[in-house]
Amino acid sequence: MIRIDEAPWEAMLEHASRAYPNECCGAMLGRINGASEKLVTRAVPLENAFGGPQSARYEIRPEDLLAAEKAARAEGLTLIGIYHSHPDCDAYFSATDLKHSCPWYLFVVLSIREGRFNHACCWKPDPDLTRADREPMMSPKGEF
Amino acid sequence: MPKVLIPTPLRPYAGNQESVVVEAGTVGELLEQLASRHEELRKHLFTPEGKLRSFVNVYVNDEDIRHLEREKTAVRPEDTISIVPSIAGGAPIAAGTEAPPEALSQEEILRYSRHLLIPEVGAEGQLKLKRAKVLLVGAGGLGSPVGLYLAAAGVGRIGIVDFDVVDASNLQRQVIHGTSDLGRKKLDSAAETLRDINPHVQVDRFETALTGENALQILRDYDLVVDGTDNFPTRYLVNDACVLLGKPNVYGSIFRFEGQATVFAYPGGPCYRCLYPEPPPPGLVPSCAEGGVLGVLPGLVGLIQATETVKLILGVGQPLVGRLLLYDALGMRFRELKIRRDAECPLCGEKPTIRELIDYHQFCGVPRAGSAAEEPAGPDIDVLQLKAKLDRGDRFLLLDVREPHEHQLCRLRGSVLIPMREVPKRLEDLDRNQEIVVYCRSGARSAKIAQLLRASGFPVVRNLTGGILAWSDKVDPSVPKY
Repeated sequence: MIRIDEAPWEAMLEHASRAYPNECCGAMLGRINGASEKLVTRAVPLENAFGGPQSARYEIRPEDLLAAEKAARAEGLTLIGIYHSHPDCDAYFSATDLKHSCPWYLFVVLSIREGRFNHACCWKPDPDLTRADREPMMSPKGEF
Repeated sequence: MPKVLIPTPLRPYAGNQESVVVEAGTVGELLEQLASRHEELRKHLFTPEGKLRSFVNVYVNDEDIRHLEREKTAVRPEDTISIVPSIAGGAPIAAGTEAPPEALSQEEILRYSRHLLIPEVGAEGQLKLKRAKVLLVGAGGLGSPVGLYLAAAGVGRIGIVDFDVVDASNLQRQVIHGTSDLGRKKLDSAAETLRDINPHVQVDRFETALTGENALQILRDYDLVVDGTDNFPTRYLVNDACVLLGKPNVYGSIFRFEGQATVFAYPGGPCYRCLYPEPPPPGLVPSCAEGGVLGVLPGLVGLIQATETVKLILGVGQPLVGRLLLYDALGMRFRELKIRRDAECPLCGEKPTIRELIDYHQFCGVPRAGSAAEEPAGPDIDVLQLKAKLDRGDRFLLLDVREPHEHQLCRLRGSVLIPMREVPKRLEDLDRNQEIVVYCRSGARSAKIAQLLRASGFPVVRNLTGGILAWSDKVDPSVPKY
């Protein structure tokens, strides 16, 4: 279960709408509450470093992720996961997403249609990156 | 000593420590030390083969080791080592071509509305269809309607095995291909049609003949197999592979005005070998290419296969198991024969003797297409040699063994017609002292007759390789191909 506070949620949606029609990406920092709940308290927009057209691709530079991880440590937070947007496409975990993901983190996908937020899903890849399961998600907009 | 920062998700596997101090001279040694000290960490960092996982990047201070000397990069006591995953991704280029197997998008809900309205299907059934993986062996007469309807119905993954190209003679029944596809690979043409019908479907293409070497590998990934083949070796192969892998084989076959359908290799049900333990003698049962087929026939039989496939996926109704459905288009009648699993079946019986795939061409006594080494022995003649022979005015019998209606369609000048099945009765009419050249449409039937004549003591018998088709290609294009 992942729960996203209002401030990071708004920041993520704003980032995704601003990047439209391109994909955006960023890190989600927060706290782990017990065994099952992860709470996101801060969203850190990261640069989409994909070299080609970014309407359907994103890439995070490892050094940017390293910086986000350092920032999290400095604030006593934890890197919980990664968010990215799917412009004019549903919020599922695509084969490309899965192939280039990492099983250590949760992945929130935001579906943006015509520049506006439509829906979102959270995914957890398995250790061998062969599949990703839905992770229940609570946002200020409700449950996804 | 160098310090390794442990990413939060991995801390439970490293004694819940934020960082671990390890004595090592290189990054490689350091990672190995770390993994041997915290065995649980190993599988998160390394593949079972011992290679760093694809998404794992290692940084020494702020430098990626890939820009240094990779795992040979030296580490000093004051260095900090970070483990950072590389992350990327993206929506598919054509939005909506993939969707999660766990949910239906709004677009899908609208698309499948007429399914969702049926209580026996509903969202649950539609998700079953979406998660289903079906392999079509052949994108021809039967594969066409099966592919079209399974794609439209929302079967998530459809694999197609075919290595043929679209030929004009296919279009009378293979409705997945169109006139503009002539000369294209059937796989490409079929995949394009399916994508147009339903972009949510993933189409896997296998451009190969299904063989004893590749069948298990190809079939393994699918839930069930639809047999749309037109020859006995592949039919036995599909059957055997399905039984060995425990996957239902949705079977159909067609000839002229008649069709058959059933489901083989269903748990408890019979397999193709229970029904036909032995293949027919080579040449006895003509294929559609030899004997023809009513164009609408595969449409109907293919849709029986598609219906059974959808039922099996949904788990509804009575599957066509243990029943061979016979369809007669001329009488417009369906009949059913009971078929039972044979306890003695060498494949699916109590004491199976077939435990792996065999050589199916040998089993069926059919030479492999295109393998010259296995062409029937005998002094054959090609169309150019025949042309020269005719031009020289050589004396010989040119024997057409096709059916009368084919002879009417086109024929080689000076030929005598004796349909294949009448030849054995009319051997006495033939002059044993004369050279005989036998031909048919493609050279297949005539090869069998040439062999029969040689075996019956005719001294000089030649088969015209390639038949009328080759004659039309290389000698006289005014002779129509059919």
